[in-house]
Amino acid sequence: MSSESSKKRKPKVIRTDGAPAEGKRGKGDTDQDVRYYSEESEVDLRDPIKDYELYRETCQELQRLMAEIQELKSRGIKENASEIDERRVQSCVHFMTLKKLNRLAHIRLKKGRDQTHEAKQKVDAYHLQLQNLLYEVMHLQKEITKCLEFKSKHEEIELVSLEEFYKEAPPEISRPAITLTEPHQQTLARLDWELEQRKRLAEKYKECLTSKEKILKEIEVKKEYLSSLQPRLNSIMQASLPVQEYLFMPFDQAHKQYETARHLPPPLYVLFVQASAYGQACDKKLVVAIEGSVEEAKALYKPPEDSQDDESDSDAEEEQTTKRRRPTLGVQLDDKRKEMLKRHPLSVTLDLKCKDDNVLHLTFHYLMNLNVMTVKAKVTTAMEMTTAISAGDLLSPDSLLNCLYPGDHGRKTPNPANQFQFDKVGILTLSDYVTELGHPYVWVQKLGGLHFPKDQPQHTVAADNSLSASHMELTVKLLRSRLQSRLALHKQFASLEHGVVPVSSECQQLFPTKIVSRLVKWTAIPYEDYAELPYTKDVIEAGLAEDTHLYYMALIERGTAKLQAAVVLNPGYSTLPPVFSLCLNWKGERNSSNDDNIRAMESEVNVYYKELWGPKPGYQLLTNQLQRLCMVLDVYLETEPHDPSVEGPKEFPQEKMCLRLVRGPLRLKPFKFNYPQGFFSHR
Amino acid sequence: MALSSPSGGVRRARQLLHVSVLAQSASPCGRFLAAANDFGEIAIFGLSAALSAEAKEENRRAVAVVRAHNGPVYSLASTERLLLSGSDGEIRAWSWAELGRKGCRELWTRRPPCRSSLEVPEINGLEVNQRHELRGHQDLVHVVALREQLPQVLSGGEDGTVRLWDLRTGAQVQLIEVHKYQECSRPQLGKWIRCLATESDWMVCGGGPALTLWHLRSGTPTTVFGLAQPQHHALFHQDLVLSGGVGPALHLLQLSGDVRGKVPVTPAALRSLCLHPRSPEHQVLTVAGNSPKIDVFTNLGYRAFSLSFT
Repeated sequence: MSSESSKKRKPKVIRTDGAPAEGKRGKGDTDQDVRYYSEESEVDLRDPIKDYELYRETCQELQRLMAEIQELKSRGIKENASEIDERRVQSCVHFMTLKKLNRLAHIRLKKGRDQTHEAKQKVDAYHLQLQNLLYEVMHLQKEITKCLEFKSKHEEIELVSLEEFYKEAPPEISRPAITLTEPHQQTLARLDWELEQRKRLAEKYKECLTSKEKILKEIEVKKEYLSSLQPRLNSIMQASLPVQEYLFMPFDQAHKQYETARHLPPPLYVLFVQASAYGQACDKKLVVAIEGSVEEAKALYKPPEDSQDDESDSDAEEEQTTKRRRPTLGVQLDDKRKEMLKRHPLSVTLDLKCKDDNVLHLTFHYLMNLNVMTVKAKVTTAMEMTTAISAGDLLSPDSLLNCLYPGDHGRKTPNPANQFQFDKVGILTLSDYVTELGHPYVWVQKLGGLHFPKDQPQHTVAADNSLSASHMELTVKLLRSRLQSRLALHKQFASLEHGVVPVSSECQQLFPTKIVSRLVKWTAIPYEDYAELPYTKDVIEAGLAEDTHLYYMALIERGTAKLQAAVVLNPGYSTLPPVFSLCLNWKGERNSSNDDNIRAMESEVNVYYKELWGPKPGYQLLTNQLQRLCMVLDVYLETEPHDPSVEGPKEFPQEKMCLRLVRGPLRLKPFKFNYPQGFFSHR
Repeated sequence: MALSSPSGGVRRARQLLHVSVLAQSASPCGRFLAAANDFGEIAIFGLSAALSAEAKEENRRAVAVVRAHNGPVYSLASTERLLLSGSDGEIRAWSWAELGRKGCRELWTRRPPCRSSLEVPEINGLEVNQRHELRGHQDLVHVVALREQLPQVLSGGEDGTVRLWDLRTGAQVQLIEVHKYQECSRPQLGKWIRCLATESDWMVCGGGPALTLWHLRSGTPTTVFGLAQPQHHALFHQDLVLSGGVGPALHLLQLSGDVRGKVPVTPAALRSLCLHPRSPEHQVLTVAGNSPKIDVFTNLGYRAFSLSFT
């Protein structure tokens, strides 16, 4: 413990003091609590400033002593050893004072620190409390705001409006006395009411649900029932087939036909429907059927993507083929024509049976691109008919249905729009293709409900049911009468070619019993030959002889007189009577232009034909006309005045009874036969 | 089974093929022509309308067609107000004023007396004058003509004679048996006299015998016209004789016997020639015959146009 070291160690003194204090404390730990520095009690008594002063003094003393010591020591140690010891003891005392002062300082410091520490702790505690309280305040404020903002769920419920509420709610809930005044109670009451309503509705909902379940179950049951019904019905249908056949009620067949009919194009469908309806309602002898391949018909209506693929493929193929085939444009055009004239694969057949079991078969086709229908006809007769040579054309399929309605030749297409289509592919007229395609008569279009106004192209002509219906009955009647008249003519021609004019018993009264002139020849002649005859010009000019008509030549003879008769047979035969043109070769050629009587004979058969029709269908008109011609030739020849310049008797003695031979400015002979009396008179 | 509506047209077409117009008559005012055919119809044509400069196709058709008789109408004659039509045993009178309108009915019908019901006489010739019963012809009377200066009527008939009658007394004055004369008789055609026309002292007649011009006072034929076919109607016009008959031609003959012209006409044979003296144009001649067409001539040299029966 040198003074320098104590000076130097001053700052460390505290520590070293403390350390050994602690060391000591370690030893005398239990004494620690007991060790009680007396300075602690002195601290409060002494004044720190004085202590400081004391310290300074002490330090100065020490310094002085030290200096003296030093001085002494410098003088020599042995001499001043007592003074050095004295000074040393003084310095030790000073050191003791210093130590005490140090302790005091330390203890002051410690106390100071303790006091500060305490105060600090208190402050901390208060601070903490403040914080706590502040926190709590904030918390409470939050709570308050929360409470203030609280939306009770009841506000989300849409309540019934006040008026309604008071109206509807029962009084025990609404309690108007109370609730009107207090809003809280009011709201409560309203909520009560709401609750009650909801409960009721919830119950209703449950009930509805249950009933719905029930109904669903019932539906299920019924569906199962129905689905089980279908196969049973089918089996019944199958089982009933033999019964149907037995009873001649082919429902199944009809059903199948309707199935196929669904694939028909619209005009054919209209025709089919109308014809079946007509057949069932009015005419049992009309049978309608559908022929053709249904698969092909279905194939026509493939879905668009397939057909587009096909088109692109076929386009590619076509390109290739055209490159290879470039020289043969004609073949291409031919294909295009074939394409244009293509027929729908399905066709409708109508079979018209007549009373004498002759059947007229009509097959109706539909040309898809041209939107017209065509018909082909065929006749099957009940018995084999001997074909007369002149009757060749009568039943030919080509001309059988000609001019069913006046002017309907069936050679031109009735659809004016087709002309433009034809121009594209170089078809001149449809008549070139009529033999294979059938005839596009106007009445056929009308039966299919297609109505083409004359000479005015229209965009689309759709099949119309009412048009077909109105024409069906008339057309069927006309077809029947056409067939029957042709068959009757066929028979008559067979007989005429043998020189016999067949006159039925009902018509015998039109003619006298004895007629000497005979029919010698009956042939068919072509139109050109007819036109060349000199005495037919009037008829052609009057428009009564066209190239659709049939022409015949009859030769009637008596003695040296030969009467040639050129006959125009209109296709609408017995309603449109044939027209005769006469030429008599007897002592010169006489015809209507130079002999009034020949003209009168012509008018007897051409104009006064009503009596010659005979019994109802009137098919005997032609034979009666021929017979009448024979009769009037007789009268003509017999009433010819005797020419005195010629010698010998008259070639034809008068055998017919005539009242007067000449009448009127025309000086006509009596050509009219009066029945029961049997004489001839003038008209 | 007959379809109702076309049958009318069908029958009509055939009728028109065989119709003969047997008589014509001009209206008193000169504007209309009445033509009668052998189906009993009388058609009225607006002649002045058809002759006018703006005439169209419709003007050439009949203005009205009257169903006059059930039988053929053989003759027509006109007075100032009336049109007389003669048919099988009856004469009907029509008022010219009403003929154009629909539903025209005859004013009166007279039936001349006939001996038996079977032989109902046809009225072949009509001329307007008083009536007497003139007996004499053996056979039917074809044609009647009035003389201008003298009150006489000539008649020609089937028996081949032309007789003159006095209208006041009803007695036959003169008889000419045409067929007995060599120049004109043509026995192969017959002896009937069909056409007769007279002017002052001259008469032209023909039919079976050739058309001949006679001098009435002497009763001798002066000129025989060399027409091969029988003639049905002849007229004196200015200094010509117009005649038509079998053959589609109108003959213009001069009194000396030369054939001045032979005009082609539409009908195959002519039955009736009618001059229209009072029409605005001076020379209008209409001819008709075995055809539904009536030819109109404004100049005798050629046919102007035709009216047609429908």
